[in-house]
Amino acid sequence: MRERRVLVVDDEADIRATVSAILEIEGYAVAEATNGAEALAAVESDPPDVILLDMRMPVLDGWGFATELRRRGHPIPIVVMTAAQDAARWAADIAATAFLAKPFGYDDLVTVVDRTRPAA
Amino acid sequence: MLEHGHLTCACPDLSAFELISLSNQVLFIGLFAVVAWRALRQPTRANLDTTLLFGGIAGAVGVSRVGTWLGYSGEPGLTALSLVLLNAVPFAMLRLVDDFRGTPRWVQYGGAAAFAFVSVLAVSSFAVMAELVELVTIGFFVAVGGYAAVAFATESRRRRGITRRRMTAVAAGAGFFIAAIVAVFIGALFPTLAEFLGLAAQVAALAAVLAFFLGFAPPAWIRRAWREPDLRGFLERSAHLAGVADDRAAITQLEAAASSAFGASGASVGIADGDRRVLRYLTADGAWVEYPDDAFIAGRAFSRQRRTVAADAEAMDPEHAETYRAAGAHTIIAAPISTDERRIGVLSVYADRAPTFVEDDLWLLELLANQAAVLLEARTLTLASSALRAREEAARLKEEFLSAAAHDLRTPLTVVLGQSELLERRIARDPAAPADAAGVGRIVREARRLRDLVSELLDAQRLEQGGAVVELNPADLCQIVDAVRDRHLGQGSPIEVSRPDRPLVGSFDRPRIEQVIENLVENAIKYGSSSPEIVVENVDGEARIAVVDHGIGIPKGERDRIFERFFRASNVQNITDTGLGLGLYICRRIVDEHGGRIWHEPTPGGGSTFVVALPIETAGGDADQEEPAAAGSWSSPVRKGAVADA
Repeated sequence: MRERRVLVVDDEADIRATVSAILEIEGYAVAEATNGAEALAAVESDPPDVILLDMRMPVLDGWGFATELRRRGHPIPIVVMTAAQDAARWAADIAATAFLAKPFGYDDLVTVVDRTRPAA
Repeated sequence: MLEHGHLTCACPDLSAFELISLSNQVLFIGLFAVVAWRALRQPTRANLDTTLLFGGIAGAVGVSRVGTWLGYSGEPGLTALSLVLLNAVPFAMLRLVDDFRGTPRWVQYGGAAAFAFVSVLAVSSFAVMAELVELVTIGFFVAVGGYAAVAFATESRRRRGITRRRMTAVAAGAGFFIAAIVAVFIGALFPTLAEFLGLAAQVAALAAVLAFFLGFAPPAWIRRAWREPDLRGFLERSAHLAGVADDRAAITQLEAAASSAFGASGASVGIADGDRRVLRYLTADGAWVEYPDDAFIAGRAFSRQRRTVAADAEAMDPEHAETYRAAGAHTIIAAPISTDERRIGVLSVYADRAPTFVEDDLWLLELLANQAAVLLEARTLTLASSALRAREEAARLKEEFLSAAAHDLRTPLTVVLGQSELLERRIARDPAAPADAAGVGRIVREARRLRDLVSELLDAQRLEQGGAVVELNPADLCQIVDAVRDRHLGQGSPIEVSRPDRPLVGSFDRPRIEQVIENLVENAIKYGSSSPEIVVENVDGEARIAVVDHGIGIPKGERDRIFERFFRASNVQNITDTGLGLGLYICRRIVDEHGGRIWHEPTPGGGSTFVVALPIETAGGDADQEEPAAAGSWSSPVRKGAVADA
């Protein structure tokens, strides 16, 4: 089975680097984007299996990205990563599959991303 | 007008003349009845003198009527009696002038002596030398009555509102009445003019009685019309008071409005503190004083919830005579300021003389007190609601701050947590694996960011609890700026500094000033496109440190707000790591506590310039120009209060 591909979208370089490093160790192929606009371009050129999405970002934020993604008809599962207190509501608002409330640790990240794997 | 013998007008059958004459007599007798009734109820000197005035006229009219009915018309005795009664009129006017305004004692005595003289002359000599008596009587009326009419007229100019109008009417009445009497006497002396002068006298007498009615017994609708401008003036001056936040300003303006409505020497508003049973007053120098809520005339009005008149305050309340004297408050009228539910306070108006028409003044005072009650009640509600809004705003800011702080802390924490767990697993899986320098670097970087955020939070917290500045010592701003420059040079981010060669020494909390400059420099780096520049100058004996960048600048409408707590300019949203929005707020507080100023100016060509102005003690250390006291303070640390007070 081919390795699953994850797109990490966050404006904080250290967050992207940390999340990517953990997921790569866990056997995912990771691509990065620093905002919603870059992420849209990445999805069009090489659609990932799952998207890890920060909400508060410059240029195009998580909400705008998710709306545009759904409008274009991509059914890719989204995991919201947010430091906001109401992470669950954010996730529900954009019909995300799951959410990760910052600060999350190694196991939180891996468990949530694993769970987005489609049932075999 | 007065049909007694010699003085009877020789007009033939002039029905209009008789009609005027008759109505004049009826009106004067009616007016006498009104003022006599008032004097019976309130036997004040002014009321008694008014009664004497109209009693004289009504008496003369009555004597001549009765004489005519009984067939004694033209009897010298009756005419003499009429003359005595008429002579009482100018004398009563003179007394009223004294009641309303005060007259020199010799005027009173002279008037009384003249009254006695002309009366005795009339009784003793009218039958034998009528013309002499008439001439003397004309002189008496013109001198004494004229003096009174002019005195009323000039006094009315000094009064306001209803009092002014009523006194003007009294002056006019007195003038017309004197003219009427003089016309009758001249007509008696020159029979050829008698017909014309008789008619003129009746017309003048009609004008006099109407003016007297307006002056002494104005109907309610006229009073309402006269009072309206004062009331409107009060409302115009006081309507905005509901929104005046400062208690002192509101009370002072309310007092000024009330005083002006009355044209009184002054007005005073006492505000009740019901629980403690005291009334609070504002003194002339802006301090609050408290007295028991039944002290002073005002306290009596408040505790009895009834309007109160003290024609002689010192006599009515001897305990506080000194206070009344000092305030020039001879006469005080006071009315409670109350609503149906609440006793708010008391309004009193004071003057150096007894009120001329006290019932009008009380009427107006009660109206103003009711209006003041509405205003003060509205003010209480307005303030309560704005206090509530301020509390809500503070709570909202705090909540926003907590949420922002939590948000900002979570991001670096995510990196520290995730990255360190990652390192832990790498070591567990393969203890010999090479160290992940990039991962460690991320942990260190984000841990530092956490530290900065936490210290920003703690700074803000400390500012809330007390001052930012701890200890002031002499320090050279140029050295402080150099230290900031050197630190950034060490970190590989050079700053251009231009500064004078001579030191700029002041009393500073050095670490705090360094923090301010550092913060401004970091902002300039964060939001600027190139390396920032620091310009230090000595401008008119104060040091100015300008931190100049050529970055994104600050939107025009937000330049005043950037020093507010938690405020972040709208154009920084695309920049990460903006901190908590406390940096400039902390800077401003530190600079404020040094007695300095901080402001923002746009950099020509784009970007921001932040200027810090701080007081310095010498320009370049010219020790011989320094005053000994200043030199003394250098040797020991100065507590911040000492500088703040200086």
